[in-house]
Amino acid sequence: MAFTDNIDSSFAAVEKDLLTAEREAALASFKVLGVPSGRHEEWRYTNIKTKLPESLRLLDNGRQTTDDGKGKFNSFENIEGTKLVFVNGSYAPALSSASAQDGVVAGSLRELRGAYADVITKHFNKATDTANENFAALNTAFAQDGALIYVKRNVKATLPVFIIHVYDAAAADVFTQTRNLVIAESGAEVDIVEDFQNTEGEKFYNHVSEVFVGENAEVNYVTLQLDNKNTTSVNSIDARVAQDARYHITTLTMEGKLVRNNVNAYMDGKGALATLNGLYLGTENNHIDSHILVDHRVPHCDSNQVYKGVLDGESTGVFNGKIFVRKDAQKTNAFQSSKAILLSDEASVNSKPQLEIYADDVKCSHGAAIGQINKNELFYLLARGIDEATARGILTYAYGSSIIAALPMEALREHLYTRLKERLNITF
Amino acid sequence: MLHIKNLHARVGDKEILKGLTLDINPGEVHAIMGPNGTGKSTLASIIAGKADYEVTEGEILFRGQNILELSADERAREGIFLAFQYPVEIPGVSTTNFMKAALNAKRKHQGLEPITAKDFLKLMNEKRQLVELDKSYLSRSINEGFSGGEKKRNEIFQMAMLEPLFSVMDETDSGLDIDALRIVAEGVNNLRNKDNAFLVITHYQRLLNYIVPDFVHVMYDGRIVKTGDKNLALQMEEKGYDWIKEEVGA
Repeated sequence: MAFTDNIDSSFAAVEKDLLTAEREAALASFKVLGVPSGRHEEWRYTNIKTKLPESLRLLDNGRQTTDDGKGKFNSFENIEGTKLVFVNGSYAPALSSASAQDGVVAGSLRELRGAYADVITKHFNKATDTANENFAALNTAFAQDGALIYVKRNVKATLPVFIIHVYDAAAADVFTQTRNLVIAESGAEVDIVEDFQNTEGEKFYNHVSEVFVGENAEVNYVTLQLDNKNTTSVNSIDARVAQDARYHITTLTMEGKLVRNNVNAYMDGKGALATLNGLYLGTENNHIDSHILVDHRVPHCDSNQVYKGVLDGESTGVFNGKIFVRKDAQKTNAFQSSKAILLSDEASVNSKPQLEIYADDVKCSHGAAIGQINKNELFYLLARGIDEATARGILTYAYGSSIIAALPMEALREHLYTRLKERLNITF
Repeated sequence: MLHIKNLHARVGDKEILKGLTLDINPGEVHAIMGPNGTGKSTLASIIAGKADYEVTEGEILFRGQNILELSADERAREGIFLAFQYPVEIPGVSTTNFMKAALNAKRKHQGLEPITAKDFLKLMNEKRQLVELDKSYLSRSINEGFSGGEKKRNEIFQMAMLEPLFSVMDETDSGLDIDALRIVAEGVNNLRNKDNAFLVITHYQRLLNYIVPDFVHVMYDGRIVKTGDKNLALQMEEKGYDWIKEEVGA
């Protein structure tokens, strides 16, 4: 019996709230869309259907919290920030620290839905495409908790907001659904770091973040999958970028059994900028799929994408990057670069850049490269006495660390450099 | 220290070294000169352990051990150093981190603990001054955006950091202006002592005015065809290589 078989009875247990109408519509949509098979064009290289076990069930009460995560998870303790911790999909106030800044709301979407009903209903489900996106529809129907980050007009958040998802033993056999809503009003600025951590066993989650970057606002969003072993996940980050806004999204995946990151940026207002960067490392039988869409809907917007992959063992990578330039989106500058290095003969990557351009006065470019460690660089390190495994690690670090170097927050960069070195077994 | 006996090597079907013999003792500086395409850089690469070449005959003994059986990194940890003709740019790794990894690899091989951060900084500061390398270069990515002269100075800096027993300098003088040449040469002269040895490969005599060799060898068509003292280099500069070709009967 698959989790989809008893979907109505699961849905009956979902709490009724201000979003119930949206949920019902999304459920109807999901029933049509279903779980995509390998024949679905957007899932050709990632056959998730066969990777979701029969025994999987949907979290039926949305509140299955244990605080077992306490002490066992990475709380980024050396980095100052507002910390929102979710254990197995539910907010864990005892492990979290709230924002003390006026004009910066950061907390549990479920807890804050009464106090911020207006702003939530105005934005919820306005960035995701539940009519076409299978997992966004499922998520909209079932997710009951996640982060609400709401930065009011012209407020600059002084501290970054961390959204830390911890999955422990209690989440076994559950297809956890969580949902974030991020709203930066005009002129607001905020840095957000989201990390998914699996502390034990196999895990399955389907997460959606909706990000609204208001006029002349700036949102820096960093998605981390650092401790992601034995995890099968779909993570969608859908952003709407208003006039003169700056939106930066970086995904950094260090491992994962099956990882699908959908990064969608909709350029809604003139003069907006989006940067979409990613670094992913696959090992053993990992499968890591980066699915990127930048939709240029209006003139004079810029977008830059740089994705880098490192694939070892028998791991597979997928890069699918679509740039859509609509007829009215004149003077668009859109750039895309996708690179991957294969560290073993058994590793592979499928890279599919797609440019669909309907305007005639635009600058768009894309490049894709798949290669190996450069032999001359390797020999240079060997000739200084560094053993081959370490030399390869250092060169991989050199290649990947540029994605980290572009991030804001020095303390975060240092943390991630250290993690990358650990991941590659190098020290210096 | 280094004894090369009847070395034959090839790339693919092309034989490049055709029976090269050379003996280098501690405290000595040897220079190898010769026209382009005669196998000088191949010799440097083979000593350092580059995998592109196949040694078909002969051996290279370094302190009694046949190093042809060792990988490039093992040779380096034993005390062999190659100053590259074309130092590689590696964006994303600073020279500082690179040297820390290299130095600690050598220390581990010698059974020593990793160097402390304080001692490492002190050592770097001391050694970089030998080649007048500004501090800022050390935190930059390896050789990235460096001028030709800066890259060569960085090679000598690395040599100074790792204190090899035997160093091969592969056309370190090529592309250097006179000031850079002087700095590089002074750096090397400062490192010379009774226990280490150098093999200086060059196309021109100029460098040998600054790094004065004990022996000068002329290489032609994969072999050493003439050996003398520093005056041989002057003779080569004056007369060119044609007379050697005639003398060897090429």
